[in-house]
Amino acid sequence: MPALRAVIFGFFACLSAISVTYGDEKVSPADAEFFEKRVRPVLAEKCYSCHGAEKQELGIRLDSRDAVITGGDAGPIVDSEAPSESPLLAAIGYAGDVQMPPDGQLSADEIAALTRWVKIGMPWPGSSTPSVEKNHDAYKQHWAFQPITDPPLPEVQDAEWSRTSIDRFILARLEQAGLTPAPEADRKTLIRRATFDLIGLPPTPAEVTAFENDPSPDAYEKLIDRLLASPRYGERWARHWLDVARYADNKGYIFFGDKKYHWAYTYRDYVIRALNDDLPYDRFVVEQLAADQLDLGEDKRPLTAMGYLTLGAQFSGNIHDIIDDRIDVVTRGLMGLTVSCARCHNHKFDPISAADYYGLYGVFRSSTEPTIPPMFEAPPDTEEHRKFAAELAVKQQKLDAFVTEKHTALVTSARKRAAEYLMAAHAKRNQPPTEDFMLLVEEGDLNPTMIQRWQSYLMRARKSHDPIWSIWHACAEIPADEFAATAAAIVEQHATDPAQAHPAVLEALRAAPPTSMSELAERYSNVLNQVDDKWTALLQQATEAKQPPPTELPDESDEVLRLVFYGSQAPPDVPVRTGWGFLTLLPDRPAQAKYKKLLGEVEKHIAETAGAPPRAMVLLDAEEMYAPKVFLRGNPNRPGNGVPRHFPEFLTHEDDQVFQSGSGRLELAQAIVDPANPLTARVLVNRVWLNHFGSALVATPSDFGLRSELPTHPALLDHLASEFMRDGWSLKRLHRRIMLSAVYRQQSHARDDGVAVDPRNRLLWRMNRRRLDFESMRDSLLAVTGELEQTLGGPAVDIEKTPFTPRRTIYAFVDRMDLPELFRAFDFPDPAATSPQRDATTIAPQALYLMNHKFVDEVVLRIAARPDVADVADASLRIDRLHKILFSRAPTELELELAGAFLGAEPSQQQWQEYIQALLMTNEFLFVD
Amino acid sequence: MPNYNGPWNPGMSRRELLARSGTGLGMLALSNLLREEGQLGAAESGAGPLGPLSPKQPHFAPRAKQVVHLFMNGGPSHIDTFDPKPELKRLHGQPLPMGNLRTERKTGALMGSPFQFQKYGESGIEVSELFSQTAQCIDDIAVIRSMHADVPNHEPSLMLMNCGEGRLPRPSMGAWVTYGLGSENQNLPGFVVMCPGGYPIVATRNWRSAFLPGAFQGTYINSQQKQVDKLIANIKNEDLTLDVQRRQLDLVRRLNEKHADDRERDAQLETRIQSFELAYRMQSEATDAFDISQETKEMQERYGTGDVARQLLITRRLLERGVRFVQLWSGAGQPWDNHSDLEKQHRKLSGDWDRPIAAFLTDLKQRGLLDSTLVLWGGEFGRTPVAELPQLNGRDHNHYGFTCWLAGGGIRGGYVHGATDEFGFAAAEKPVHVHDLHATMLHLLGFDHEQLTYRYAGRDFRLTDVHGHVIPELIA
Repeated sequence: MPALRAVIFGFFACLSAISVTYGDEKVSPADAEFFEKRVRPVLAEKCYSCHGAEKQELGIRLDSRDAVITGGDAGPIVDSEAPSESPLLAAIGYAGDVQMPPDGQLSADEIAALTRWVKIGMPWPGSSTPSVEKNHDAYKQHWAFQPITDPPLPEVQDAEWSRTSIDRFILARLEQAGLTPAPEADRKTLIRRATFDLIGLPPTPAEVTAFENDPSPDAYEKLIDRLLASPRYGERWARHWLDVARYADNKGYIFFGDKKYHWAYTYRDYVIRALNDDLPYDRFVVEQLAADQLDLGEDKRPLTAMGYLTLGAQFSGNIHDIIDDRIDVVTRGLMGLTVSCARCHNHKFDPISAADYYGLYGVFRSSTEPTIPPMFEAPPDTEEHRKFAAELAVKQQKLDAFVTEKHTALVTSARKRAAEYLMAAHAKRNQPPTEDFMLLVEEGDLNPTMIQRWQSYLMRARKSHDPIWSIWHACAEIPADEFAATAAAIVEQHATDPAQAHPAVLEALRAAPPTSMSELAERYSNVLNQVDDKWTALLQQATEAKQPPPTELPDESDEVLRLVFYGSQAPPDVPVRTGWGFLTLLPDRPAQAKYKKLLGEVEKHIAETAGAPPRAMVLLDAEEMYAPKVFLRGNPNRPGNGVPRHFPEFLTHEDDQVFQSGSGRLELAQAIVDPANPLTARVLVNRVWLNHFGSALVATPSDFGLRSELPTHPALLDHLASEFMRDGWSLKRLHRRIMLSAVYRQQSHARDDGVAVDPRNRLLWRMNRRRLDFESMRDSLLAVTGELEQTLGGPAVDIEKTPFTPRRTIYAFVDRMDLPELFRAFDFPDPAATSPQRDATTIAPQALYLMNHKFVDEVVLRIAARPDVADVADASLRIDRLHKILFSRAPTELELELAGAFLGAEPSQQQWQEYIQALLMTNEFLFVD
Repeated sequence: MPNYNGPWNPGMSRRELLARSGTGLGMLALSNLLREEGQLGAAESGAGPLGPLSPKQPHFAPRAKQVVHLFMNGGPSHIDTFDPKPELKRLHGQPLPMGNLRTERKTGALMGSPFQFQKYGESGIEVSELFSQTAQCIDDIAVIRSMHADVPNHEPSLMLMNCGEGRLPRPSMGAWVTYGLGSENQNLPGFVVMCPGGYPIVATRNWRSAFLPGAFQGTYINSQQKQVDKLIANIKNEDLTLDVQRRQLDLVRRLNEKHADDRERDAQLETRIQSFELAYRMQSEATDAFDISQETKEMQERYGTGDVARQLLITRRLLERGVRFVQLWSGAGQPWDNHSDLEKQHRKLSGDWDRPIAAFLTDLKQRGLLDSTLVLWGGEFGRTPVAELPQLNGRDHNHYGFTCWLAGGGIRGGYVHGATDEFGFAAAEKPVHVHDLHATMLHLLGFDHEQLTYRYAGRDFRLTDVHGHVIPELIA
């Protein structure tokens, strides 16, 4: 493991050294008075609001001596060796990129007091530890982070009622509350409930009759098994998963490029197939995160599973936001952990550090999407396909050549024009670099990304006191009119100590000291380019001599200079970015236009050519692994400590959290489905329970952190989770287990005793009555026409286009950019991010849809035209038939009477249609008891 | 997460409903219910008997109850409208002494405003000829001349102004306000967005509800559409008359009553019964609200002609009917984004807006609506005092300093807040960040902006994220 812990140990070792230096001596009365009168009031008034007991911006708190010594996320804030160099003093002096307090500099008096205080060793009378210690260990007691147990079945008084182990847990709680469960629902209700629940459609009249008349003792078990075996099951339950996966068929707002995900549907179809095949959930998770790393054998279709990661929003191509979305869908979706909260600072409530966040960031930053995603089925051996492939190769070659050309030009010019870049970076010396600008420049201008890289590089060199740049930074602070004189003195001063300045730099400056910053920049550029020339010559020699290329310059002093251009994170050595990310390296319009054209041609060709094969939206490990650093406050231009790619530390009890292989995605997936992971199985069984009952055991299905609600039935949750894992993570067995229980089979009627004690039915003294969601409603409307299409899978369809498609709603095109009003009106979740659970609002636009939408007209016409309706001449029999189709039951006397009054003596076809539409608008059509 | 409408939680049983309303569920009972629910506040579920848009009470007594956001998308030039800079004219054509701030594109020398400024009203605030009619209402307006945002690009700045965050998906201000306050009229959407001719840049993200329930998302209306019944989805049945629909709904209600009787009167069943009655009424009321032909000729003439004038007249009708939040856009794309030919383009655009805004403010005032309606005017940023290269007749984006103005709803009229530097490049005095504007607007609506939150993904989110200060000077 050791890397991560080494970092942490190293960090603390360094701190303890500092505190020893300061010692813990007694504070003299004079110092105490000075502190109380001049220092503490400043800290309290100006600093505590952001760096005190309540808030610790950047991990810094200033309300105790120990805390000040400890420093923040970025390291120490006071320097024991050279107190006047302390970052704290730089910040209050407004000398660097950090300026504190941010809303106005302290007065000169206040600055003087704090400076003196730091210089005399920060005397702090009284206790040296903070008054209110943050409870860092609260998480250790948090229920969701405890190992999953296999609790014994509770004792219950009513031994008769329970059918399954689940019932014992429910009944025990009911009995505690003085409640009794509801009686079992009748068969009509049960078959309607189970059918909607498992396949999202109403039962047909024939199915109802068969079930009602089945005398066998296991009739209900057979019903559940029949439904679980139906391919419609996968279509129904895949939709629940797609909510978690923030599924959509396009990218959301992006400025450039193809806005559609042409193959998102292959992911949707994968989920349907996985559920229908009862793919074990642990395997299901691993395939979605790392199918590319698995030995798949002949069947490459699981590659499509990685859409879980890749089909999120594209955030205008911002790589950090794309990665954040992936971290979020993985951690919140699979483990109920809100890891994204740790992007800018340690999680405020849960034991997730920024280091954990960037450990995962590194995993996804080390993974890339190929410009041309792989096929997952063998392409057809046809002339058409050969032609397609040949044309693709040509287009791809053009694109690659252009990218190589532009990238080489950029990198080369960044070296040749080092002086200009140095000056550009110098101009922004005291500004924090920012990456969020989208700037346009003219051809030939300096590249803004490159300026940022130089700026960040110089800032790092300044912090690390890099001898190459010591003179640069000393000169950078000189006012222009004093430059010549002061610079000469600085050069001489550095010349006295060889450890302080690089000899080649000194040599270039001593003879004739520079008279301006730009002259200094020229000199630096010359020094660097001379070494670069040596390097180029050496490479050339090796090529000519057919020897392997050298890896470094023989002279150590030259080599450190070479690394300015070629080292890790060397400013000119900007990595090639693929896809639309490359545009940020090409800020001039002509180059952007050309790139857009070439990439667009490739994308269009593979997506829209007739007969082009579908592709899997995979992630692959990048050629080079990315070594993550914590971005302070989430700002990519302010890298802090390096962290290994690793699994969140608090979830690992052994020394294995650092990922060893490639990006670490496969190890991440395996750590998630490790049976010892306390979250994964619990989160999943809770989601399944939610969709069976309409209320979850843990009311916040995607947040099991410290601020989540306690489970209503903690022991039941654990029981389900352990049984689920014992069943080989089989979802179908989990459904069966739940649906065979007596608690699931209860009636849904409210009773006074239950309402009085538990109005929200959290204890399940009855079944919840549930409204159909959007998909079930529309699918049911199609189903009762008898014309619902049965074909599984395929590209997305526009469900609002006429003539209306008879496809199930899961196949509807989901427009992330502009979610249609129809979807929104019926609580379809915004696919901007993973959805924990659906809202269920009741609003007038839903009613307007049933009253006025053309699709409903069409449905009504088709119901009226069903042979088993249209051919029934007798009005009462026809009414009877309609009730059986729509409600699985015969009409009552009252209903016949009302229908008769509505239809009149000799109803016209039009009146029948009006009547059918009215039936579709009833609550009975939309609610399941 | 609040469970809207508590679908699995009866919350209120049929018996409770009946006890409160006497018999049945007439409109009277319904409005009683609304009032009672309103008093209960938004705390528990955010939802009342009529669903998520039931009216709710804010944290403290509000100064404003409704909001109108006049969005000059693309970025209007503050130095050509509400922020006079004589220095610019004097140094026209010369370079900026301290060097240009970096904006999206390359900029050159200073460019004086081609427009005349003049003092208006008792307050004597200077406004350019582009808004000479709006300026007649200047004593009701507080001009914030020291606005600033984060970056000089449209997309993030639109997101910041509308949603309080430049990049990540967050609910819009209108969604937050309707989440907090509901709407006074259940027959109309609570948050209406009008933009003639199509979407602005970043489209529906500007009025999204994000993780708030979909009911709080802005309802987009293409105000170029003049046919009233095409403005709202499914608002009219093309085949059935209202009489036939009434008969259908009567039948549905009888069937539903019987169904509910067999089921111990579940509140969610009642809610849905009501939703059909609301929908039925909405069919006539919504079309009514958008039908400006019902206005007198004189009134129509006061507002003037064109899409913008029609939008504003419709807005007044919506406000009268209790719609909570109305956002009006200049047009599809980014009309005010005049990188070149600014003089002509700004003249045309202000020509669309000036008279209708003046008529609108006056009309609201005469009807006593201005006191409780907060009007916000502005873009996502302003424009540079320096001309853009190479044409030199337009201005680049400027997020360092720009102007917004507020009127009505507790705003201190005839007041100028803050200032930009002498060239109008950056906010110099009393800078107001977009977060501060949001905090102040929420304050006027009766909310502590730090307390109007929504729990999502492990965090309590708010419009102002972790920022924002209320600006007391803006409040009358």
